[in-house]
Amino acid sequence: MILRTDKLTVGYGKKTVVADINVMLMKGQFVCLLGPNGSGKSTILKTIVHILAPLGGEVYLNDREISRMSNQDMAKTTAVVLTEPISAGLLTAYDVVMLGRHPHTGFMGKPTVKDSEKVIEALKMVNAENIAQRYFTELSDGEKQKTLLARALAQEPQLIVLDEPTSHLDARHRIEVMLILRQLTQEKGVTVIASLHDIDLAMKACDVALLIKDEHILACGTPEDVLKEDLVAELYGMDRATFSAYLGGVELKGNKSGKPVFVVAGAGSGASVYRALTKHGFSIITGVLAENDIDFHIATAVGATTVKSPAYDVISQDTYAEALKLLDEVAQVIDAGFPVGAMNQPNLDLIRWALDEGKTVHTLRSQAEAETLYGANAARLILSLDFFELMSAVRKVVKN
Amino acid sequence: MNAVSTEVFLARRWKRFALVLGLFAVGVCLFLVLNIILGSVTIPLGDTVKVIFGGAGSDEAYSAIIWNIRLPRALGAVLGGAALAVSGLLLQVFFRNPIVGPFVLGISSGASFTVALAMMGGYLLGVTVVSSLTLSLAAFIGALLVMGVVLMVASKVRDIITLLVIGLMTGYVASALSSFLIAFAQSENVHRFVIWTMGSFSGFRWEEVRLLAIVGIVLLLASYLLAKPLNAFLLGEDYARSMGVNVKRFRYTVVFLSCALAAIVTAFAGPVAFIGMAIPHLARLSLGTSDNRILIPASILAGAMITSLCDLLARMLFAPVELPVSATTAIFGAPMVIFFLIKGKTTI
Repeated sequence: MILRTDKLTVGYGKKTVVADINVMLMKGQFVCLLGPNGSGKSTILKTIVHILAPLGGEVYLNDREISRMSNQDMAKTTAVVLTEPISAGLLTAYDVVMLGRHPHTGFMGKPTVKDSEKVIEALKMVNAENIAQRYFTELSDGEKQKTLLARALAQEPQLIVLDEPTSHLDARHRIEVMLILRQLTQEKGVTVIASLHDIDLAMKACDVALLIKDEHILACGTPEDVLKEDLVAELYGMDRATFSAYLGGVELKGNKSGKPVFVVAGAGSGASVYRALTKHGFSIITGVLAENDIDFHIATAVGATTVKSPAYDVISQDTYAEALKLLDEVAQVIDAGFPVGAMNQPNLDLIRWALDEGKTVHTLRSQAEAETLYGANAARLILSLDFFELMSAVRKVVKN
Repeated sequence: MNAVSTEVFLARRWKRFALVLGLFAVGVCLFLVLNIILGSVTIPLGDTVKVIFGGAGSDEAYSAIIWNIRLPRALGAVLGGAALAVSGLLLQVFFRNPIVGPFVLGISSGASFTVALAMMGGYLLGVTVVSSLTLSLAAFIGALLVMGVVLMVASKVRDIITLLVIGLMTGYVASALSSFLIAFAQSENVHRFVIWTMGSFSGFRWEEVRLLAIVGIVLLLASYLLAKPLNAFLLGEDYARSMGVNVKRFRYTVVFLSCALAAIVTAFAGPVAFIGMAIPHLARLSLGTSDNRILIPASILAGAMITSLCDLLARMLFAPVELPVSATTAIFGAPMVIFFLIKGKTTI
């Protein structure tokens, strides 16, 4: 065990930010703190590294109470990467990383051969050797973050504490930083604790998730156990988006009172259709989807009215009738171009029925495919080659 | 991409450091010698060497000029410039602000106030003649008073900017008190006081040089020992703490050293403007680094060099009228700071 907190209360002055924190961090664990802005993630991290004094309770680092440790002793065990931007004057990336050797160098800070080796090693570990000779201030946000990470590594800590290490980073650097941290925990046995805003990355990279809201720890456990739809919604107070553990991300919810569109989809063909319609403010009705279909999960996440059928089962008469009833009330239908097999023949019947009823039916299929599936009725379909055409067509119908 | 390996890069950098330090050292020697040779009487280099190294047949008049007037003054400028430059450097790193100087914490205002008290307040008590040693003592006490206030605040206030503002405000209060004295003083004394506030290395005597040298060198060495935590501080207070710096002790030490360095110079030469603010930039940009282990020696040399040059100009430009040294340091320093600001080169 590297770090343990005992009834820890953190905050500024007299103001409690988070109370009664009892956690244990093991060697080689990657722990993430999740919570809305201002929930106290940074405050907890700063208290753990003794930048802030606790308002109550204790923090133990390797079973030593940290307020009794000197900064020098702390520095040999713990390194930080803070979120506030720094201006490092005329220091090169190499110099900044070398500062990480501070607790290990002598009185004047003169680097030894070993120090130089550790710096190079740290730069290699974060793939930043190529920027070593450039001035820190001239680096991009991603390169700066990698340099600061290398600085923390050069300190040879058992514990690295990072405050929002992926903020301001592009997709590549975001992933790179997470992978480096993952590698550190697994190969070097370093314990990492980081506050994050990306639930999806946290879910995929961390060993332990600590959810913080309203002055207390909402939940703590493996991300697989903790990051569930309702808990994440509660954590961020989300009512216009849904977190889906299956999808590993967040979907924006549609507008229930918008113009209704019926989508016939399956096997992932509906994913983009649902998102496009959601963006444009339509209310979505979709079916029939098997519960083992990716489209079912996305439709649920965007809040569509969904007619479902049990996993690995054929579509029953009752389910079909239910879908037909909903379809009857809608003027526009979209055929998402789903693959057709033995199980989902009734979905084709839905579209044929809509065409017979004279409803507006859009399709993303090619002309040839449409003719094969719908025969003579195919002539009444509105064909769209891409989503731009599809959405223009759907909106045009609404306007008329 | 790196054109060269890290070893080559570091070696090249050291070469640059050595070159710049060498140039600064040559500059110090050059202006020191010029300060001894040039003046109302130009002393040939040969005679100068003879006088200083005690060669046979040295001219007695030359000897008197060199030993009693020019050498102490020239050394005073060298030491004063070095001390002010390092004082400024320490405060720039500490406040993480590239445009602060040694007097930002009100040191000069404090010294000015007590000097004003000695010059003009003494008159009220019937003392008419004030010796220069009394003035030095008064200036030093004033600087120490302000330093005491700032140190006391430093131990209580965590926020560095608050400390900076309190330093500035203390300075304003001291200036206001000086204005009180000026309002009631005789115009002759006011004139002397105004001249004093513009600084001068003239009239430096050996006792003063000796004191400045001993105290100054001890303080400069102590500052050099602070290079490692100063470097850690470049990333900010929180990082410094996380790297093992005892921030409270560091804060105390920096404020004490920078104030003491500024105070000792001000005691003997009055407030000398801009050296402390401009020289650290000159050193940083010439070296291309913020590494204080090399910046401190570079600032010592550059401070000594530029201050010697400025004192030379102050003496020679409108001879026999002598300019206050702040007139030349400001003309040299202020445009330099403006230039660096516009070029976006100001950094810590």
